[in-house]
Amino acid sequence: MAGVDVGGGGKGKRRTLDSEINMIPFIDLLMVTISFLLITAVWSHMSRINADAQVPGPPRPDVEQEKVPPEKILHVEMRTPEKFTLVWKQGAQVVNSIEVPRKDDLKEDKGKKLVRYPDLAAKIADEWKNTGSHRDASDRKLDQAVLHTDNDTAYVYIIGVIDAIYGTHRPLTLPSGKTEDVPAFNVTFAVN
Amino acid sequence: MPIGQPSRRLMHFVPLHFVQEKATGGGRRSTNAGLSLTSMIDFLIVVVVFLLMTFSASGETPPSKGLQLPKAENTIDMIDAPMVAINGSQILVDGAAAGNTHAIEDNKRLQRIDELFNILKGKREVWKQLHPGKDFPGVVVLQVDQDVPAVVVKSTFQTAAFAGYPNVSFMVDQLPKSGH
Repeated sequence: MAGVDVGGGGKGKRRTLDSEINMIPFIDLLMVTISFLLITAVWSHMSRINADAQVPGPPRPDVEQEKVPPEKILHVEMRTPEKFTLVWKQGAQVVNSIEVPRKDDLKEDKGKKLVRYPDLAAKIADEWKNTGSHRDASDRKLDQAVLHTDNDTAYVYIIGVIDAIYGTHRPLTLPSGKTEDVPAFNVTFAVN
Repeated sequence: MPIGQPSRRLMHFVPLHFVQEKATGGGRRSTNAGLSLTSMIDFLIVVVVFLLMTFSASGETPPSKGLQLPKAENTIDMIDAPMVAINGSQILVDGAAAGNTHAIEDNKRLQRIDELFNILKGKREVWKQLHPGKDFPGVVVLQVDQDVPAVVVKSTFQTAAFAGYPNVSFMVDQLPKSGH
């Protein structure tokens, strides 16, 4: 028992070739490995969604400031329950503005809510294709999107909109020559 | 006592002929049955392969008790950073109490949370002392309950930014990607 036969019988008076590999240490090893992996297993996968506060850095009087023209920034406004407003701004100048009807696709599973905005995600992708500044794969900079909300919106809806903004992807060529898919926007959460 | 080759020993001590005949089979089916281990080993190997594929070496940060995180699809991996949890009206930094949101909820106005600010500022100073000459990453992870109003999230976000943590990440429950 607990062995594997590795050959037929011997011929004549020579030593028999019929031997067995002891499988017990092998089974023990498998059992210990399974126990370790089960104990350390993670069944819930947490991850994160990035947003920055766009706080200016400390002033550097020793470094001469370069005058660069302001970039186009997409402002996503969710201030009413009926619509989103997408506004492209370059500095204080409004380049383009459109409205997208707000349809909250809310799903609940075991108390955890998921909000999706497929129409908004599609519109943002279209807008980026038409107006985005950093569309080339060799361009390492990302376009900027700023999310504005009212004070009463529940957190889950904010996450839904940030998720929709990050849904637009573009290729990015890495220094190694490889190309990978990255979000087209970097999201800033406006607190005002 | 010399070491002998293992063989059938069952009931051998009983000095009765019919018992020994029964124990050794006695021309009938033997009581010593061999167990096929091939299927068992196959099963164990499949389980080990599955568990190895789902193994995560980076560890996992469990969300605070009683906190329901929203789900999201376009996410990135967790990082090691101070964890600010907003559960109901209580604020926790790495599990330790750091104020509450009563004043914000009552006034419905954006305001700085002083206790949170002081704790985060202290953590920043400790990091700078431990890593001299290195740039401070300024990353903080927010664990926020899905029903918390935006004014509380904004106040926490702003407080973290003022304390030197402008890169804020929102912890979410990862949803499998549907593909593009």
